[in-house]
Amino acid sequence: MNKIVSTDLHAQDISTIQSSAQPAERIAVGRRGFLSAGAAIGGGLMISLVLGKARPAMAAAPTTSTVNAFIVIGTDNAITMITPGGEMGQGINAGLAQVMAEELPVDWTTIKTQQAPFGAQFGRGATHSQVTGGSNSMRGWFPLMLQAGATAREMLLAAARQTYPSAPQPLKAVAGAVQDANGAKLATYGQLAAVASTIALPAAAPILSGPGSYKLIGTSMARPDVKLKVNGSAVFGIDVRLPGMVYAAVRHCPTLGGTVKSVPAAPSGSQVVNLGNAVAVTGANTWQANSRAKSLAVTWNLPTASALTLADSAGLASAAQTLMTSATPAIAEQIGDVTAGMAAATKKLNVTYSVPYLAHACMEVLNCTVSIKKDASGTVTGCEVWAPTQAPDWVAATASKLTGLPLAQVIVNAMFMGGGLGRKIEQDYVTQAIKVGLAVNKPVKLTWFREEDFGRDWFRPSALSRVQVGLDAGGAITAWSNRIVSPSLTRSHGGVPKNGLDGISIGHATALPYANANRLVEYIEQPSAIQIGYWRSVGESISAFVVESVIDECALAAGSDPYQYRRTLLAGNTAALGVLDAAATLAGWGTALPAGQARGIAFSPGFGSLCAIVAQLALTATGTVKVVRISAAVDCGTAVNPGQVVGQMEGAILHGMNAALWQQATFAKGVPAVRNFGSYPMGRMADCPKIDVTIVSQGSTLGGIGEVGVPGVAPALANAYATLTGTRKRSLPLGIVVAPKGES
Amino acid sequence: MITLKVNGTSYQVSSDPSTPLLWVLRDELGLTGTKYGCGVEICAACTVWIDGSPEKSCDENVGSCAGKSITTIEGLSPLAGGATHPVQLAWIESQVPQCGYCQSGMIMAVAALLKGNKKPTDAQIDSALSNICACGTYPRVRAAIHKMIGV
Repeated sequence: MNKIVSTDLHAQDISTIQSSAQPAERIAVGRRGFLSAGAAIGGGLMISLVLGKARPAMAAAPTTSTVNAFIVIGTDNAITMITPGGEMGQGINAGLAQVMAEELPVDWTTIKTQQAPFGAQFGRGATHSQVTGGSNSMRGWFPLMLQAGATAREMLLAAARQTYPSAPQPLKAVAGAVQDANGAKLATYGQLAAVASTIALPAAAPILSGPGSYKLIGTSMARPDVKLKVNGSAVFGIDVRLPGMVYAAVRHCPTLGGTVKSVPAAPSGSQVVNLGNAVAVTGANTWQANSRAKSLAVTWNLPTASALTLADSAGLASAAQTLMTSATPAIAEQIGDVTAGMAAATKKLNVTYSVPYLAHACMEVLNCTVSIKKDASGTVTGCEVWAPTQAPDWVAATASKLTGLPLAQVIVNAMFMGGGLGRKIEQDYVTQAIKVGLAVNKPVKLTWFREEDFGRDWFRPSALSRVQVGLDAGGAITAWSNRIVSPSLTRSHGGVPKNGLDGISIGHATALPYANANRLVEYIEQPSAIQIGYWRSVGESISAFVVESVIDECALAAGSDPYQYRRTLLAGNTAALGVLDAAATLAGWGTALPAGQARGIAFSPGFGSLCAIVAQLALTATGTVKVVRISAAVDCGTAVNPGQVVGQMEGAILHGMNAALWQQATFAKGVPAVRNFGSYPMGRMADCPKIDVTIVSQGSTLGGIGEVGVPGVAPALANAYATLTGTRKRSLPLGIVVAPKGES
Repeated sequence: MITLKVNGTSYQVSSDPSTPLLWVLRDELGLTGTKYGCGVEICAACTVWIDGSPEKSCDENVGSCAGKSITTIEGLSPLAGGATHPVQLAWIESQVPQCGYCQSGMIMAVAALLKGNKKPTDAQIDSALSNICACGTYPRVRAAIHKMIGV
């Protein structure tokens, strides 16, 4: 057991984990902007570089001093980067550390990373947001990380000037040590750490080295967390273990919208907690807790039959059709005159597309661990949460609300996520764990079994989209009209769509890059009792399937090559053409293919980046098709770690393929049909095509990389299929490829 | 009491014999490297070796494991040394993991494959690895194996 020992005077502020399963050197992080190291493994004490002491927890305006929460230097030269982005596989811990290490500077192989806990000093922007979503982490924290590294460097240099007053100036920081003007090493960062911790923060923002001299940014550095992820020592949320902890499992009402009517007495040795729409049951281990939850004779209040039509796939599909033709839409975009443009057309398309609800299926199911402290009178005096979360600040707000504690007294540890995909931004599982923690008076880990994770997801919304296009004799677009019927993410999160519009649900259906003077994009909110949420590329995953499929239909109607047709409509858009051309070149677009094969292309900008995908399909002897190859080009501005950028694209392509080919979440009168992977296919090794990715560097602004690769996959596959077979698929999942072995 | 031999160490566990091995490893022995993914033998995140053979621990009753030799990801190479099994080293070199959640099971499956087949074909790799990886690390899994076997 590795006990963490605090070395500062605010032990009560220090979050600690004591567990046989924890990595040996987890650093205790104070909530107030100062950091301290724990005991070293051998029992020696590390003194940390303590920067920016005792900052006010939440109310402070952002200042340059907030950067100093991010770097910890021990006297033994151990350097830990406290990285603010939520690590769910995208490599953001390493990426943000890489940016800090660029300016520090330090030997990359010596650093460790640790996820920041809840704390305003780790947030970005005026709201101190700690939310990881919308591919915003690198974009949002990049400038702050540069400042963090540079500020720490300046303080170490100041410490060296103070310690070695007669050393030839100017001093220079090089790879973990300070040198004098002649290049002679004066001291390591570790040797300077104690003095540096007494140096006042620089008054002015430090000078940054600038893109021209980057040594780490733009290089495929190895991720520090990978070593922990190949030997089982990485601690995901589900792996947290606390002394005296009990295990709890959740069972929700089988019908969406249902509530607990009655709960029988708790089985011997357990506690049962009524959570409103679910019950939680404790046990000596997760399995026992879940077995008890499953067998508990709970009775439920079910929604009325009419209410359940809003949670029924057939009912919702029918309602969407009615809304499409009878509801008054809100206007998302109106440019030019679509009626006149349509009148001028020589060819017209009128096509309707649909996409289903989708689950997240993160490999790590939802879980949350909570330790609540109460005084003798039962008043809550402390609350510490360990959660796989994309939003530690939202978790803190949830905990504060439920416990009555001020935010400053809530500790939230953001753990590694076994996938997040937008699901782990929600607060339902956190809320449940805190309620159970309050009820059972012991530390508790609450886990959802897979069936609960699927059944009570916040699903990617369904959509029905009707597109009418006018083309002139040359194939140019004279009018484009797109009417979207889809539930509102804003409303599902307690808001009201402004002017009847929901930007996330509409995605990239507006502001299309293609030449066209007459545009109309409309949105109709569909009432739905399905809980909908964020998902890897959410709205863009819907709009890109529709738009890029219809552009392909236009190309084929005009008798044009789909790639050249897009080139014509993107004329003058150098950045877009750069990416489109790179994907086409990578895929060998226009070169001969074996008989029975075809390619399809899609261009899909989003999240501040540009992406183009080419899919190559082959007909099989049984009449189904096989995905042979996916080629992708992406421009995300600065590729901080090109190897990880490629990894994100590979992952996005597989995520997009799973959804495009096989997946859908359906509901029968409120009862979710998907409860495990048996009815929610996920591709395996055997299903993975050859994937090639090229990074296009053309001086663009820094963009996101986690999601931009997803949206283009479905239309590229559908477009290839249309070229291959002559059949246009306008509904997802495409159902053109046999589902992974052993699954339905 | 059931006697379990895990990673060379004997443990006495008092769990109900019908408890899946997975949960005994994780909750009773604190060996949390082995992961829960589906509980129904589909995703293979829980893969461990039982008497040297890769098995899904979510569907092995702990009672049936008494006296058998169990190897988990923590026992694949000495933890104190970091990660020194050839598959672990290859995984680091090729930077295979993303979220990493499925990789314990993936690595145990790959290491088992390579124990019995020094140079598997792509078809044999596909057939041996039924593990679900939602991050889509499959191209790197294949590339890392190819590098190890000199393909």
